[in-house]
Amino acid sequence: MPSAQPPSPEASIAQNSPHVLLPFLQSQSQNALTRLYQRPSSCLSIFRLLAPLSRQLVMNLLWLDSPVLAGTMAAWVVPDGKKLYDEALNTLTRLHILQSSGAKLALNPTFKASMRQAITCSGTTGSFGVPAQRDDRRDAPSVETLDGYAVQRWETILHYMVSSGQGQYPTKPTQGVLYLLQRSGLMASYHGSTLQITSSGFQFLLYSPHDQLWDLLLQYLHMVEERQMDLVEVLSFFFMLSTMELGREYSTEPLSETQKAMLEDLRDYGLVWQRKASSKRFSPTRLATTLTSVSPSLPTAGGSRNPGSAPGASSVANSTGINTNDHGFIVLETNYRVYAYTDNPLQIAVLNLFITLKYRFPNLVVGMLTRESVRRALGNGISAEQVISYLTAHAHPQMRKNNPLLPVTVQDQVRLWELERNRLKSDDGFLYKDFATQADYEYVLAYAKELDVVLWENTSKRCFFGTLDGHTNVRGFIERRTGGGM
Amino acid sequence: MEKASHLSVIVDLSPTQWHLSAQPSNPYPLSIQSFLSQLLAFLNTHVAAKHENTLAVYGALPGKSVLLYSSSDPAPENAPASDANAFTPFKLVDATVVDRIMQEFEAVSEAEEEAPCSLVSALAKALCYINRITHPSTSAGPEDPNELPDPRILILSVSPDLSSSYIPIMNCIFSAQKLKVTIDVCKVYGPETVFLQQAAHLTEGSYIHLERRDALLQYLVMSFLAPPSVRGVLAVPRQERIDFRAACFCHKNIVDIGFVCSVCLSIFCQPVPVCSTCRTKFPIKTLQRLNASRPPGPPRQATPQTSPAKPSTNGHRGFGPELNGRP
Repeated sequence: MPSAQPPSPEASIAQNSPHVLLPFLQSQSQNALTRLYQRPSSCLSIFRLLAPLSRQLVMNLLWLDSPVLAGTMAAWVVPDGKKLYDEALNTLTRLHILQSSGAKLALNPTFKASMRQAITCSGTTGSFGVPAQRDDRRDAPSVETLDGYAVQRWETILHYMVSSGQGQYPTKPTQGVLYLLQRSGLMASYHGSTLQITSSGFQFLLYSPHDQLWDLLLQYLHMVEERQMDLVEVLSFFFMLSTMELGREYSTEPLSETQKAMLEDLRDYGLVWQRKASSKRFSPTRLATTLTSVSPSLPTAGGSRNPGSAPGASSVANSTGINTNDHGFIVLETNYRVYAYTDNPLQIAVLNLFITLKYRFPNLVVGMLTRESVRRALGNGISAEQVISYLTAHAHPQMRKNNPLLPVTVQDQVRLWELERNRLKSDDGFLYKDFATQADYEYVLAYAKELDVVLWENTSKRCFFGTLDGHTNVRGFIERRTGGGM
Repeated sequence: MEKASHLSVIVDLSPTQWHLSAQPSNPYPLSIQSFLSQLLAFLNTHVAAKHENTLAVYGALPGKSVLLYSSSDPAPENAPASDANAFTPFKLVDATVVDRIMQEFEAVSEAEEEAPCSLVSALAKALCYINRITHPSTSAGPEDPNELPDPRILILSVSPDLSSSYIPIMNCIFSAQKLKVTIDVCKVYGPETVFLQQAAHLTEGSYIHLERRDALLQYLVMSFLAPPSVRGVLAVPRQERIDFRAACFCHKNIVDIGFVCSVCLSIFCQPVPVCSTCRTKFPIKTLQRLNASRPPGPPRQATPQTSPAKPSTNGHRGFGPELNGRP
């Protein structure tokens, strides 16, 4: 019985929003996508970004040689899942993975061939990265080195952003990173002064590392055209990185010129490690190898914090960072006190965005969520929901025993503080007044209401306020009327 | 957020049955080589679907069961050299599974080949493994329940039912129910197996008897690839008719009508004076009445019984194989 199943299966699957990269890919031309699909590693990575049902449909079709009738395919899904199924078909069609010929559907032949090669480990495209020859003089960098490098690079960027708002300037990231931050609107320079964080920059700081990374990479992709780089090569390089193995060295020889140029940028973001800029080999860091997993993260500061603490985590998962940032550090009490078990300057700086810090100990920071501190955050463009979701995402394991996780009083109060700011709403518009007769007034008002442009009215004073957009129409109406009356 | 999913695959590697399966006299002969290549493609697909997906592969060999591959094992020292044309995790799974199967086959001696395949011990090991990964040690602190993998077991069976393993199989099914593990069964070759049908039914998995064995991979992908959370929206074929018969505790026969001990619910194919499990003695009169009312079946009557047991009209459910450890 559908009604007897407590959480409907559809709801449990539907809550996943599509990956941020998919809309970008959908906006690309069929030609570009087909070129992208020539590489098995790209197919595999895109496959991973798809929703579960889309993945199942792709796999169902992968080993079929002939196209399938659309009706037959629809029968693979129960009637309750029709909506999800239509969404999946729509996504796949717009990605040009699924092609329809008449009433029949089939996979894009290029995609099918590459995906089959990926699954059966065959083919000669070398799209998973050519490993470098072993260097007898120097060992490959250890996973700890790579993690340390990635964290240091990434935190430099974030720390620079967060401290620019307070007028301090720690280590500057490179020019390329600064340009990217400016282009993406996360930072802006006002009146030629130094770069300042913007309100979207503040919001950015509260995202998970995975979302932050994709946010920046998407901006990078948008910049590709003006830098006259080939989008397909850029994308396939990202996808190649995401299928590489952490702690292994790869050769730069088979890379195209574009991709070699990208190495420099990716080094600055902490995705790729190279011994020297001129080195003929490179190693992807954890940031790169977890690009296409759903819940990856940056290793916590200090790198190998808890290696192997999750017995369920597989070696594949271990080598790609499932156990890294998953334990939170924030305890929030009903009296608005916040205890944060951290000594990471970046985390403290981010917390400082919306709490008033009180004491600081070697491994603990204590602060309060106060009206002033939250209003300051709201003023910076951070929303109450973002504050709450940040606290939820980083809650200490002890907090996870509570249900609901955060004290309701605090959550409500933060939302109320946000509402406080919304008591006044301003709109641009025009005031219409001094109508000669009540009938005139009502006639014009009725017309304006019909257009749905009235923001406020006062019958006793015979005046009303209309929006800016509606002004031309209303004015024209009044002129026609007075003109006709004369 | 979408959960990771864990898949344990149990492969029935009975040399005799695979030899029979490869005979060209079958409608769709399937050799172990072709089976393995399709299985590896399926395993790769599972690994491909999500970065965090975990996998364990068990082999049921004559007289023993072995863990062929587990994604939580550290990569072996002699890991295959990274290849520019292959995704490293795929390569690792494929190489490990094939190597281990070859090793095990070579180790099987002539005498052992006739021993029954220990499917149950593989199943028990798979359940223990799942128990371990879903209940991490308490010292690690309370895990977020959303992070736990969504576990299931897929049994690829070629051997017929082994009635002596009835009780262990039922115990495994109960453990699986308790752990909320779905057991799927794909009967690749051989007759229908009653016990595995029940295993799939009781754990809400699917049981599929392969009709077109040349299309094994397509069957595997369409029916068994989706994790339980996605299956709600997929029209996955299910077994419509399930054989619920049980095996008796005394002769391990699969019985249509059995006699159930009124104290511990043990099943017997004929009335017995004393329950072999719980040592309860039954009154003589009831026993005589039961013997008189037995249908004139195949004469397997031992010495005339002198104590009663409760007749059971249908021998399924309600028995308590968990109790068989009682003194």
